[in-house]
Amino acid sequence: MSLSEPQELKIAIVCSSNQNRSMEAHSFLGKKGFRVQSFGTGNQVKLPGPSPDKPNIYDFSVTYDEMYKDLMRKDPELYTQNGILHMLDRNRRIKPRPERFQASKERFDIVISCEERVYDQIVDDIEGREKELDHVMHLINIDIQDNHEEATIGAFMICELVTMLYASDDLDNEVDEILQDFEHRVNRPVLHTALFY
Amino acid sequence: MAGAGASAGVPPKRLSTAAQFFAEDDQDAETPGDNAPKTTYDRVVELLNQASLLGNDTDKISNLRQVQELIIHKDPDLLDNFLDEMIAFQNDRSVDVKKCIIGFMEEACKKDAECLIRVIPCIAHLMQDENVNVQKKVILCFAGLYRCALQWVSKAKTVSPEMSTIWDQVNHIKSTLAELIDSDNDGIRTHVVKFLEGLTLTLSKKTAASEVPKKQEKEISLDQVVENGRLIRLKKLEEEGQQHFLTLVQFQGSPHISSINLMTVMGALTNIAKQRPGFFDQVVQSFEALHVNLPPTLAKSQVSSVRKNLKMQMLALLRHSMSADFINKALPKDESRKRKLEEPGTSSKKAKIEPLPEVDDDIDDDIGMTPWVDRSKKHTPTATQRQTAIDVTAEDLLPRLTVQHVADLVLLSMVMLPDSMPAQFQSTYTPIAAAGTDSQIKHISRLLATQLTMAGMGKGVGELKLQAMKKSEEPADGSSPAYDDGGTSPKQLIQTVVGGTTAQEDEERADQLKKAEFPAPVQAPPPRKGLRQFKLETVTKPLHMDDLDNMTLHIFKRILHSEKMSAANHIHGARTKILACLTSQFGGPLKDMMEDHIFSDLRSRYDLAFSWLYQEYSNCQGFSSSASTTKTVDFASYDECLTRLLKTLSEMPDQKDGLFHRLILEAPIITTNAMQIIRKYCSNEEHTEAGMNTLRDLIVMRPKNRLDFLDLMLTFTASEKAEIRNPAILTTQKLYENPQLRHSIEVYAVKQLKQLLTEKPEADVKRFPGAPGEPDGWTDEGIKAHLYLYLGLLPNNHALIHELANIYTATSADIKRTILRVLEGPVKGMGMDSPELLTLVENCPKGSETLVMRVIHILTDKAVPSPELVERIRDLYHKRVPDVRFLIPVLNGLSKKEVISALPKLIKLNPMVVKEVFNRLMGAHITANASYVSPLTPDELLVALHNIDPNKCDMKTIIKAANLCFSERTIYTQEVLAIVMQRLMDQTPLPTLLMRTVIQSLSMYPRLIGFVLNILQRLIIKQVWNQKKVWEGFIKCCQRTKPQSFQVLLQLPPAQLTNVFQVSPDLRMPLLQHVQSFTPHQLAHIPPEIMTVLETEPEPERAETPMEQAPVARQVSCTFV
Repeated sequence: MSLSEPQELKIAIVCSSNQNRSMEAHSFLGKKGFRVQSFGTGNQVKLPGPSPDKPNIYDFSVTYDEMYKDLMRKDPELYTQNGILHMLDRNRRIKPRPERFQASKERFDIVISCEERVYDQIVDDIEGREKELDHVMHLINIDIQDNHEEATIGAFMICELVTMLYASDDLDNEVDEILQDFEHRVNRPVLHTALFY
Repeated sequence: MAGAGASAGVPPKRLSTAAQFFAEDDQDAETPGDNAPKTTYDRVVELLNQASLLGNDTDKISNLRQVQELIIHKDPDLLDNFLDEMIAFQNDRSVDVKKCIIGFMEEACKKDAECLIRVIPCIAHLMQDENVNVQKKVILCFAGLYRCALQWVSKAKTVSPEMSTIWDQVNHIKSTLAELIDSDNDGIRTHVVKFLEGLTLTLSKKTAASEVPKKQEKEISLDQVVENGRLIRLKKLEEEGQQHFLTLVQFQGSPHISSINLMTVMGALTNIAKQRPGFFDQVVQSFEALHVNLPPTLAKSQVSSVRKNLKMQMLALLRHSMSADFINKALPKDESRKRKLEEPGTSSKKAKIEPLPEVDDDIDDDIGMTPWVDRSKKHTPTATQRQTAIDVTAEDLLPRLTVQHVADLVLLSMVMLPDSMPAQFQSTYTPIAAAGTDSQIKHISRLLATQLTMAGMGKGVGELKLQAMKKSEEPADGSSPAYDDGGTSPKQLIQTVVGGTTAQEDEERADQLKKAEFPAPVQAPPPRKGLRQFKLETVTKPLHMDDLDNMTLHIFKRILHSEKMSAANHIHGARTKILACLTSQFGGPLKDMMEDHIFSDLRSRYDLAFSWLYQEYSNCQGFSSSASTTKTVDFASYDECLTRLLKTLSEMPDQKDGLFHRLILEAPIITTNAMQIIRKYCSNEEHTEAGMNTLRDLIVMRPKNRLDFLDLMLTFTASEKAEIRNPAILTTQKLYENPQLRHSIEVYAVKQLKQLLTEKPEADVKRFPGAPGEPDGWTDEGIKAHLYLYLGLLPNNHALIHELANIYTATSADIKRTILRVLEGPVKGMGMDSPELLTLVENCPKGSETLVMRVIHILTDKAVPSPELVERIRDLYHKRVPDVRFLIPVLNGLSKKEVISALPKLIKLNPMVVKEVFNRLMGAHITANASYVSPLTPDELLVALHNIDPNKCDMKTIIKAANLCFSERTIYTQEVLAIVMQRLMDQTPLPTLLMRTVIQSLSMYPRLIGFVLNILQRLIIKQVWNQKKVWEGFIKCCQRTKPQSFQVLLQLPPAQLTNVFQVSPDLRMPLLQHVQSFTPHQLAHIPPEIMTVLETEPEPERAETPMEQAPVARQVSCTFV
C-alpha cells in the first residue's frame, strides 16, 4: 500500500468507425489488463463493400453481431476473404456494439486517436462540451493506416506507449518527455494536447 | 462523531439523477441485505465509518463521494454537521482520497460559503502537500474557492474579523499559487495556467458580448461584485485580473515554454477572450505573435500539435461575435482569396485567414475536409475591392524578382541561416513544385510583400497612407461599407494592417524577413487583427521645415563629431553606415559637411567616402528600402557624389596614397562626368602615370565599359606632350598584349594612321590636349600625333609595318619625311630578324623605297647585317630596284666581289654618302663587334678604287673617292699605303692613278721617300714611259723627290731622260750639277749618251704632250699643294 498509488489511468482508443484500429488496440490492451475503452468519431460506421465506392454503412446503434450477420448474408466469401468477418467476430466478443466518442460522457485520462482527422474531431468535441474544468485529459494521436496489418502494428505501439505512460509517477509533468521518447522510438509523428473538461 | 440531525428523516423532493444513481448503487453494492430505509443522517454516518475503515482506496473514495452527494445535494442541512468529518480525510494517506476531499471542499463552499472559514486553512495545508497531484487538485479547485470567497465577502453586510482573516488567507494562497507558474513541474504549470484563467475570468467584468458556457453562467464575476469598503476594491481587483491576464500572455510568449503549457495557455486565452471580449484583441494579437514565432525548443511533432491547436483556438475565436470586426478589417481582397483556393494545402496555417463570418456551427459536420476548403466556396464577395498595402507592395515587387535579385537574396540569407533546421520550418516546408513559374513568383512576391508590410516598408504602405489621408479629407459618406463596421476609419485600418507590434515581435521580424526569402515556408501571417498599438505618427505633429532642417544638420554634426567615441566603443562601422545613409538620403548641406569631414583627414576617413558612394549607388539602384519609390534608375545623385569625391581627390597635392585610383576602381559605375574627371586628371603631366595605371586597370577590370576607357586612353597616345604620351603609349603597348583588346587598339591606330591620307587633319584632332586650334594643313606635330601610337605598337606587332608602308606610299612628302624621322625607335625595337621586316624589304611596295631604305639603314646602323637581310636586299637590288643605295647598309654583308663591282656606282653618289660607304667598309661605325671582318680591307679598297674601269666611272669621281681614303689617316697609315703601292706596282698595266697615289702618299708620309724611290726605279724597269699618264706622274714624282730622285733619273734611257727634261726643264740643271759633283770614278759609270742629254739644252717639245694631259697635271699638282 504505497503512499501515492495512483488510480489506474482510464484509457480510450479512438478511430473513425470503432472497428479495426481502435478495436485491435482495445483487444490487445484489454488482454494486458489496462483500463481501456474504444470509440469511433465518424457519423456512421463504415465497412468496406464490394467496391471502394460502395461501402457498407451502419449506424452506431447496430451491433457487431448484426453487422456480422448482415455481411454473411451479403457475400460471405468476400468478407471472409478480406478479413472483415473475422474482425467483426473479434469485436462482438469484446463489446456489443461500436460506440461513438461524442456520445460518451465518460472522462478519460488518456485518449489515443488513430488518425489526425479523428484527433481533430475529438478536440472539437471536447471544446464544445460543457466543462467542469477539473479534469485533465491527454489526447495523443498516432497515425495508423486503416488495414489489418497496420492495425496490429498500431496496437503494439499503443501498448508500448500506454505502458510508458503508466510507468510515470507524474504524468502531467513527464508526458512531453515520454512522448518525445516514444516518437523517437517508433519514428512516427505524434500529436499531443492536454484538454481540460 | 455526532451531530443533531433534526431533518434527517425527510427525503428531499429534488433528488439529482446522480444522487439517485448513487443511492441505488449503494443499495445494490453495499448493503444488499439491508431492507430498512435509513435516514440520510444514518447513512452518512455509516458511510463515513466504513470509509475510515476501508483499506481499498477505490471503495473509500466511492463512499466519500456518496457522502458528498448526500450532504451537499440530497440534504444540504447535514453539510455543516459532517464537514469536519469529511475534512478529516484530508490526512488520509491516499492521494486520490485527498483529491476527492479537495473536490468536496470546493463543492461544499459553493453550497455554503460559511464553510470557507473551515476549509481555507485546510487548503493552505493541502497546498503544501508533497504529492504534486494533490497540489494540482488544490490549484484547480482554488479558482472556484476564490470565487466563493469573493462572493461571500462581497455579499457580507458586515465584515467580521473572522471573515477578514479568511480573506487575507485566500489572497495569500492565491498569490502563492499564481507564483507557481514558474514551477519546475510541467503539470503544475499547466494547472496554474488554468487557475489563472479562472482568476482572470472572475476578476473581470462580463459584457453583453460575453459568451459564457451554461455551467459557468452563475459564476460570479466582477460586475456582480459589490464594493465592500474594507476588503474589496473593485478597481484594484480589476487591475489584478488584468495582471493575471498579462501573466498568461507573457507566459505564452516565453521562449522555452513546453508544448503542453503552450496549448493550455492558448486554450485559456481563448476562453478568456470568448468570455471577456475586452481581452479579445490582445488575445488575437498574442496568437499572431505566437504564430510567427513558435518556441524554438519544440520538436517537430509538437510544432504540428501546437499549430493544430492554434488553428482550433482561432476557429473558436472566429465563432465569437467579436471577431466580425476583425475579419472585415483583416480580410484579404477577393483576388488573393481565390489565389489561395487554387493552391490548397500549401500550408494549413492559411486556414486562419480563410474562415469568414459565414463560418458557423456546421463546422463539425465537414468531416474529412479541412474546414476552410469547403467553406470558402460559399464566400460572397465582399464589397471592397480595394487593394491592401500587401497587394500594392506585391505588385511593386513582382517585376523586381529577377533571377539576379533572387540569387542575391538567397546568397545574403545563406549567411543568416541557423545551424540546424528549426522544427517549425521543417513542419511547414513543402517542396516547390512549380519553381520559377509566374504563379510561383507572384506568390513569393506576395509573401515578401507581407513581410515588408509588417515591417512598415514597401510601396503599398506609403500608398495606402496617402489614400487614407485623402480619404479622411473627404466627407465620410460611407462609400466603403467593409470599413464601416465598428466605425473604423481607413486610417485606423492602415494602422492595424501595417501594425505596430510588440517589442518581442520586432526581434522576430528580422527572423521573418530572413525566412521570407525562402520561397518554401509558406508563412503568410494572418492579417493583423485589430492592433491598436502605439504609433509614433499618431502622437506627433510634423515639425516646421526649417526646424527640421536645422535639427537634421545638428544631428548630423553630432554624429560627425563622434568619431573618437565611436572608435573607442567599436561602433565605427555603424557610424559610417549611419553617416552614409543620412548623407545620401537627405543630401543638401549634409553632402558638403560630409565632404569637408572626409577630406579634413582623408587618411583615416576614406572609408566614409567609400561607404557614402556605395550608399548612393544602392539608393540609385533601389537596393535600399529608403529609395524604393523611384522606379527608374537615376544616377544623378550617385554621379554627383562620385564627381565630388573624385574632383577633390584629383586636386589633392599629395597623390601617393592612390585614393583616386582606388575610388575609381571600386566605384560601382563610372559615370560620364567621372570620365571627364579622369580625362582631366590624366591630362595633368604630374598625374599621367598614375592616371594611366588607373585607366589600364579600368580597362582590364571593367569589360562593360572597356571601350570607353580604351578610347580615352588612346586619345592620350597622341598627346603633344611626351610626358603624357609616353606613359599612354607604354600602357597601350601593355594592353596590346591582351588579345581581347588587341583588335580595338589596332583598329584605332590604323584609323589614326589613315587620317594622314586626308588633305587636312580632322577637326577632332583638336581634342588632343594642346593641339593647334585651327589646322590649316599638316603640321609636324599633327602628323606625329597620328603616328605615335602606331609606331608604338610596331615592336609588338611587326605585321603593322606593311600597312605603314602602304600609307607611306600614298602620303605627301612632308608626311613621308616625318614618318622617316620617327621611324628609328620602333624599327630598332623590331630588330632585323623580324620576318615581317624582311618581307617588307623583299616586297618593297612601289613608292616605299625610301621607307625601306630608311628601315634598312636603321637596322644596320650599329650592327652587322644578318645574312637574311643581306640576301633580301641583294635580291631586291638585282631583281627589282637596281638602286645601289640599297646596298650601302649591307655592304659589310656582301662579298668582296660584289662590293668591288658596286664600287663604281657607289662612289658616284653624294660625297657624304660615299664617305658613309667607306666608313661602313672600314668598320668605323662598328663599335662593339670585335670579330667584325669587312669584305674589303682598306688596302684592298684603295686598290679596288684604282682598278675601277674608267668607262664606268670618270676619273674625277675616283680621285675624290681616293681622296676620301687618304683623309682617313688613322686607317691609311704609311704601311697600308706602302702595301697599296706595292700591289699597284705589281699590276700590269699600271693603274692610271698609280703615280698620283704615290705622290699623295709621299706628301702625307715623307718618310716613304725611300720606298717611293724604289718604286720609281722599278717603274723604270717596267718601262713606265709606255703609259703616258703614269709617265707624267713619274716625272712629277721625280720633281717632287729631287734631289733623291736624281739617282733614278740617271737610270732612265737617254730618250726618256730627254723627254723628262722637255716636260720639266728645271730638272736638267740640278741634275747636271749633281753629275758634275760626282767623283771621276762615278762619272765613268755614266753613259756618254746621258751626259749628252744632260748637257744639251732640251728642245721645246711641249707641243708633243697631249692637250688633255694638261688639266690632269694641273689637277694633280693641285692636289699636291
